[in-house]
Amino acid sequence: MSMHRRVLTLVSLALASVSAVPALAQGPVVLPIADAKARVAVEREIARAAARGLPVQPLIAKAMEGVTKQATGERIQVAVASQAKRLEQARTLLAPSTSVAELTSGADALAIGVPGAMLKQIRAAWPVERSVAMPIDVLTELVARGIPARHALERITVLMARGATPSQIASLGSSVQADVAAGLAPDAALEVRARGVMSLLPSPAAAAASAPSGQRRP
Amino acid sequence: MTGGSAARALILTGAAALSAAAQAPPDVRLEAGYARVEQLGFAPADAALFALFWRKPIDHWTLFTSANLTYARDSLAAAQGVVAFAVPWQANEHLRTDFGAAGASFSLRSAGRGGNGSGFLRQHYVRDAWGIWVGTAAGLTERDGVRTRSFAGDLGGWTRWRFMYASASLSRQNSDDWLLLLASGQKRAPLAASYELEDWQLVAQARRGPHELSASWTKRRSVAGSDVDVDAIAISGSLQLSDRLAFLASAGRQLSDPLRSLPQADIVTASFRVSLGPKPLPVMQRATIAEVHLHPRAEGGAELELRVEAHDTLVVDVAADFSSWKPLPMVREGDEWVVRVALPPGKYRIGVRANLGPWRAPRNLARVRDDFGGESGLIVIP
Repeated sequence: MSMHRRVLTLVSLALASVSAVPALAQGPVVLPIADAKARVAVEREIARAAARGLPVQPLIAKAMEGVTKQATGERIQVAVASQAKRLEQARTLLAPSTSVAELTSGADALAIGVPGAMLKQIRAAWPVERSVAMPIDVLTELVARGIPARHALERITVLMARGATPSQIASLGSSVQADVAAGLAPDAALEVRARGVMSLLPSPAAAAASAPSGQRRP
Repeated sequence: MTGGSAARALILTGAAALSAAAQAPPDVRLEAGYARVEQLGFAPADAALFALFWRKPIDHWTLFTSANLTYARDSLAAAQGVVAFAVPWQANEHLRTDFGAAGASFSLRSAGRGGNGSGFLRQHYVRDAWGIWVGTAAGLTERDGVRTRSFAGDLGGWTRWRFMYASASLSRQNSDDWLLLLASGQKRAPLAASYELEDWQLVAQARRGPHELSASWTKRRSVAGSDVDVDAIAISGSLQLSDRLAFLASAGRQLSDPLRSLPQADIVTASFRVSLGPKPLPVMQRATIAEVHLHPRAEGGAELELRVEAHDTLVVDVAADFSSWKPLPMVREGDEWVVRVALPPGKYRIGVRANLGPWRAPRNLARVRDDFGGESGLIVIP
């Protein structure tokens, strides 16, 4: 199969996955990995993940990243297998969420060392119909910046409880980034910015009153 | 030809390979050339130089090895091997530890026949455009049945601005290798058991793409045990003729090196270097010159602007998860390569590399490991 056709196949698969087409109906995955043996192994890995009901798009993306970065076939296989394992963990931790975005965010958070229990806490902070992808992404970014995970989680879950929007939570990350670039310590930047976002939010009582019933707490 | 001076050329070749490898990571390099060596008390001599250099990045550290051979008919046969490691600290991105060992076997007209072993340990603190280091080294030489020991300590700092690099260092060396001192034309103080030297060195280097030119000045004086008071100036350059072929030349005075048992000499070298493997050109240092800026858009998300300050002879690649890790087309704006992409809210990972070097995170983004021995920058767009 030509490279062009393989790429097309991949793109189709990725789109199919995002569109929530059942994974098993997607057909075989063909990746542009030069090492034929490794390519077959990676494709099998992806097929196994699909059979377990995991989204294949993040796995294809991981394989493509390895191809671009000229990693060995063996290394790509290990990376894809690790990603599949993290996706499975994320699915358990974030249940009942099953969206590709949330599982990918959860898997990426686990990859940088965010404890699984924290993902559960974030999931519990919002009603199940509301995606927690963005709060998890911001947690990942803050932890990657060297902010203690416990501290970052505390700030994010407080914002979530106070009714902050995903955009407001996301702006926390970018504001901290700007402060760090200006020379502020990441921890201090988070403290300052979290307070800033908080000041824009309604009081806890008002937030509780306006929250959907599933989100209210005793 | 004087054996010692040719051996110095040998070390020069090895050091050049190691130094260049810190920035330029071809997997394998072969080097062959010519050296003309002039040493006090001996007629100028010609020598052939051969070198093999091999570099292996392994996860977050790097292994360097090199082997050098210098030959000048009846006056010299010398071989040297070097193994060195560069290990960045996982706990602190600004710290890196280098350590390694070298071994040599020589038969030198000026400094006898024997062998030498040495080891070094150097701790670096590296920021984006400057760094400092402190190091120590020890060497053991056995020459014609006589064993001598040498020790050294050094500290220094460097800074980089655009394509210029400069460093200053101070080192002290203690040795009882008297033959080496005498072969370098210096005198021994009466009753001294060992001698101690102090070197002040300034190095300036300019890089334009893969081409390099550097100059060094060293002031050496005796601290104890000798009458050493000498200056040394050396210049060297490399011209990349093609992706895989470079021409190297150097000229100047090399001071004696007790650690590696090399006497002082004036040397001129010319050689060609062939780079094998998939990474033939120098890479930029850690992606200190790539930055991401976000410009919010009224309709949501933001325009991500990535600017990479790099000479236009450097091949710069940018790839990201939003491009399915395919290289993004960039445009040249002044001294920078620039790419702009409109993106919806979400989390994105971005990598930058130059001349097929390692993938790095833009400097103002959070850094995450990428499962492939490199790193990516992480950004969340509100």
